Amino acid sequence: MFKKWFLMLAALVFSVAALAADKHYVLGVDGLACPFCAYGIEKRLNKVDGVTGVEVDVGKSTVRVTLQEGKPFSEERARQAVEEAGFTLRSYSEVEGETGGSDVQ
Amino acid sequence: MRNVGKWLAYSTLGLVAALTLLGCAGGAINWNQEPPYSLNLAWGEKGSGPGQFDDPTGIAVTDTEVFVSDARNGRIQVFDHQGHFKREFGTPGDGIGELGRPMNLTIHDDKLYVPEYMNDRIQVFSLAGEPLSAIGSPGKGPGQFNAPGGVAVADNGDLFVVDFYNHRVQHLKADGSFVKQWGTTGKTGRGAGEFTYPTDVALGKDGTLYVADGYGNRVQAFDTTGDFLRKWGGPFAIGLYGPFKGWFTTTTSIALGPNGEVFVADFYNDRIQKFTARGDYLTAFGTPPENPGHTAMAVDVGRDGAVWSVNFADNRVEKWKAINP
Repeated sequence: MFKKWFLMLAALVFSVAALAADKHYVLGVDGLACPFCAYGIEKRLNKVDGVTGVEVDVGKSTVRVTLQEGKPFSEERARQAVEEAGFTLRSYSEVEGETGGSDVQ
Repeated sequence: MRNVGKWLAYSTLGLVAALTLLGCAGGAINWNQEPPYSLNLAWGEKGSGPGQFDDPTGIAVTDTEVFVSDARNGRIQVFDHQGHFKREFGTPGDGIGELGRPMNLTIHDDKLYVPEYMNDRIQVFSLAGEPLSAIGSPGKGPGQFNAPGGVAVADNGDLFVVDFYNHRVQHLKADGSFVKQWGTTGKTGRGAGEFTYPTDVALGKDGTLYVADGYGNRVQAFDTTGDFLRKWGGPFAIGLYGPFKGWFTTTTSIALGPNGEVFVADFYNDRIQKFTARGDYLTAFGTPPENPGHTAMAVDVGRDGAVWSVNFADNRVEKWKAINP
């Protein structure tokens, strides 16, 4: 009986933790090799409500954005932020876990 | 048949004339060119320890020391002229003494001026690393900045600050109060006195102000009263980019030599280009990147004429010396 309750509790904790996990997005943006550009997009995206992390990959020309669970980050919102930083959004995708960078087309 | 021959001759002549005109206008044809500088010394690698860098973005030298902006590590590292680590100051953050992506450095009157891209201010330090003052705040009003990239300091302490995202250069008093500006706030432009993401500025002994007009792919010069003097970089300096002599593909830093020569970091072409004060091309030198990205990020010149640069892609400091004929 106790074992059954323990398993149910563990499943509940796991599912809540999964629901509360941050969300990750990968944006394809060209022309990020220069730090004046890379820092500009980082600075602008960090002002978006709910953003907890921005990582620029110069080699892949992508930006990985991490948002708190429940905070919206639509493609349109991403496009607006990228354009305000002086760039054009090439691709947008929501990714899972830590290895989602390769999902960008 | 004779007509075809004549047509071919005229076409060839026209093409040669057009190429010559473009070459002259872009600075490629100049009979007083010099040999490239040779790499004399290099040090650094990626990391966060002493002598390691995570995005070096600025450099300034004294007669005995080399100061380097270590942007992602949020610090300034100081070395002797042989590359031995001496000290560091700053940590990532936005408090006094903390740094938010330090960029092109300037030393004047034994003070280090540090433009902070993320904190929208110029922070002033003693050469020992003690924070002395901070100038500016985020915004687009007079005396405010949106990603300052470089600063020059006049003998009376006045500041000239390039304001990257506001597309302007501001002239401020030493206390940060506004005097005047070049460029239209928030608006890019390709005409004389207009800017497209300017990145750095240098002040000549005669008061001439040289601006690295970053994505304008050119240099613009102004006199002491603020009037436009000249511009160069590609044909007619109207913003065209390219890899040829005297052309640029994003200028990220500018410094003056002991005799007024102008050295410009030509980022996407991985080279430092050297010009006369008039903008005549003299020589170019640099290193191809070993890692993804580009190398020629920032430049400064010592009183002995040695050129110091930071290699962005490979996280290194490099020293260059002229090859004596």
